[in-house]
Amino acid sequence: MRREPIDPAGIEWTRVSPKYLRVRLAGWAIGSAIFLLIFSVPLILLLTGVLPRIPLLPAVLLPAVAIIIAAWRGLLLPRQVRAIGYAERNEDLLVRQGIFFQRTMVVPYGRMQYVDVAVGPIERALGLCTVKLHTASPGTNAEIPGLPSSEGARLREQLSARGEAKLAGL
Amino acid sequence: MTGSEPLPPPPPEAPTDQWKRVHIISPLVRGWIALAALIFFGGRDWFEGFLIGDSRGFRGDGPGNLTLAIAVVLGVVLLIAAGFFLSWYYTRYQVTEEHVRVNSGVIFRQHRQARLDRVQAIDVVQPFLARVFGLAELKFDVADAGESAVRLAFLKLDEAQRLRATILARAAGVAVDPEHPQDIPEAPEREVLSLTPARVLGAAALSGNTVAVLLGLVGVVLFAVVLDTGALLAGFVPILIGVIGGYWNVLNTGFNFRAAISPDGIRIRYGLLDTRTQTVPPGRVQAVGVVQSPLWRLKGWYKVTVNVAGYGASASGEAQARATLLPVGTLDEVLRVIALVLPDPGTDTPVDVFSAGLAGKGPDAGFRTTPRRARLIAPLAWRRNGVAVTRTALLARSGAWWRQLAVVPHERTQSLALHQGPLARRFGVADLVFHTTPGPVSPRVRQVAEEDAWRLFSEQAERAAEARRRSGPEQWMRPVTVEGPAGDPGTASEAPVMLPPPSYQEGSAHERF
Repeated sequence: MRREPIDPAGIEWTRVSPKYLRVRLAGWAIGSAIFLLIFSVPLILLLTGVLPRIPLLPAVLLPAVAIIIAAWRGLLLPRQVRAIGYAERNEDLLVRQGIFFQRTMVVPYGRMQYVDVAVGPIERALGLCTVKLHTASPGTNAEIPGLPSSEGARLREQLSARGEAKLAGL
Repeated sequence: MTGSEPLPPPPPEAPTDQWKRVHIISPLVRGWIALAALIFFGGRDWFEGFLIGDSRGFRGDGPGNLTLAIAVVLGVVLLIAAGFFLSWYYTRYQVTEEHVRVNSGVIFRQHRQARLDRVQAIDVVQPFLARVFGLAELKFDVADAGESAVRLAFLKLDEAQRLRATILARAAGVAVDPEHPQDIPEAPEREVLSLTPARVLGAAALSGNTVAVLLGLVGVVLFAVVLDTGALLAGFVPILIGVIGGYWNVLNTGFNFRAAISPDGIRIRYGLLDTRTQTVPPGRVQAVGVVQSPLWRLKGWYKVTVNVAGYGASASGEAQARATLLPVGTLDEVLRVIALVLPDPGTDTPVDVFSAGLAGKGPDAGFRTTPRRARLIAPLAWRRNGVAVTRTALLARSGAWWRQLAVVPHERTQSLALHQGPLARRFGVADLVFHTTPGPVSPRVRQVAEEDAWRLFSEQAERAAEARRRSGPEQWMRPVTVEGPAGDPGTASEAPVMLPPPSYQEGSAHERF
């Protein structure tokens, strides 16, 4: 993984499973289809003759823009997935994400209130899961998606054990 | 317990462990608005009907109708009274050594239990009507955003205060005199500051509310003059009502504001019609925020808010008032209040550091600001944006117009994140975001140089871990205290020694606390 300016030196990021790209692609395909459908409504109305007075140019332009945006987002997906990483340190867990808007987060083990493991239908089919950490702050939005199920279970156990060992109050 | 019992000499106390009920008239005090509305509307209808029926005679024929009306009203009142009685009868509470339990609900029963040592804050509230009856509501908050864990409404005021003292003493782990386990004196307190009505009025007059009103007024008048129509003036009325509500809120919550320190923590009182006493035990404040709106700069006033885990992040006026540690104060008062929250500022020159944080610019007093190269993306605020670190807390300041300072004790850091967007990357800066419990303060170090940001990020993670290891126990007066606020446990029968409130002004006074 390429080292970004805000990434720490000497950290080995663990990348999420490349299979996670498929989960994102599926979500992207469904989202884009709905998006495209909504933006095609004027064009469809025009072509079917329901509302023949809609000007042609905006009616064509809208779905065209939708396609461009969807394609752009689709092209970014592989890099976005590659940009997700996590690293377990002695006292805390680091999670990073994002290419344009990057975020690196540190969650101390002693601050973790509970750990969630969530599995969606597509993730289940691919044998993946999402681990989510919660602290007393709603701002802690630390999600590690696309972990192989075994790694997810290991991480959950590991985090729970470490959280217990280092648990502090609030 | 019955309501009509004469108050002075309190009968020999039954053990607090037993189940008790709240005061019998409390449902009435709680439901008075509904009752008043019912009486108002029902009464008005009846009265109007009565008048019309009397004068014109087409509304039924007198006596029979009247008896029916009275019967209906009586029936409704009886029904409500029965509901009130049942809800009172089924609400019981118990305070044991470790828990407070409340059972409530007539059909859907609710049994709630909260651990005393998890207390985050405890309030004694007196709404106006309750005050008339000498009653008070006790609120007990644990770390769960949202509603209070336990609300006991209503108790007699002295009963509520005694219960608060009991809960705090047990939560603090004070050793109780075994022969008189019920003799738990209210912890002594020492007043730190109070606000005069003039100050509160002035603060309301110079608040952001005023700016909005003036701008709105100018707009409406211009509109009326240009278009020669008064139509908009009518639209201004509801806004005006809202604004008056805002002013009222400021006055009602700032009035009679007093802050005090006691071994049980910070105690603040305020209220004009509704009065409230809040107690925040030591170490429960997660973050402190100080803000100054532009008009307040004329007088050098600041407002201090806090994040406390039990208070939640609701935007309601009540929640905001609860999270306000000082509605309006001068620099000196702000420093005194911060000293209560952070007895050890972790620096030898606390006044300089905090003053620079409140109103300063540039790299004074150890603040690191946004680098000059990034002044294009923060043209006004780049010298103001800054961060300073002491041994015990981190200070993040920002805002050129609306000055803000956020103080996070190291041991209260939950998690932190570095954010960097494309523009920030172009200028080599990043934002450092601190996550704390929900509340009005959201600490964020804005546009700090990349190299500083990363160093802060990793150092802060270590500092937080280190501070957590050293931090005091949850039970702040537990006899085996490491370095707790009160080193000497003392039994409850001998009143705890009251040290002077911590202060940044007199050198090392805070070391003793």
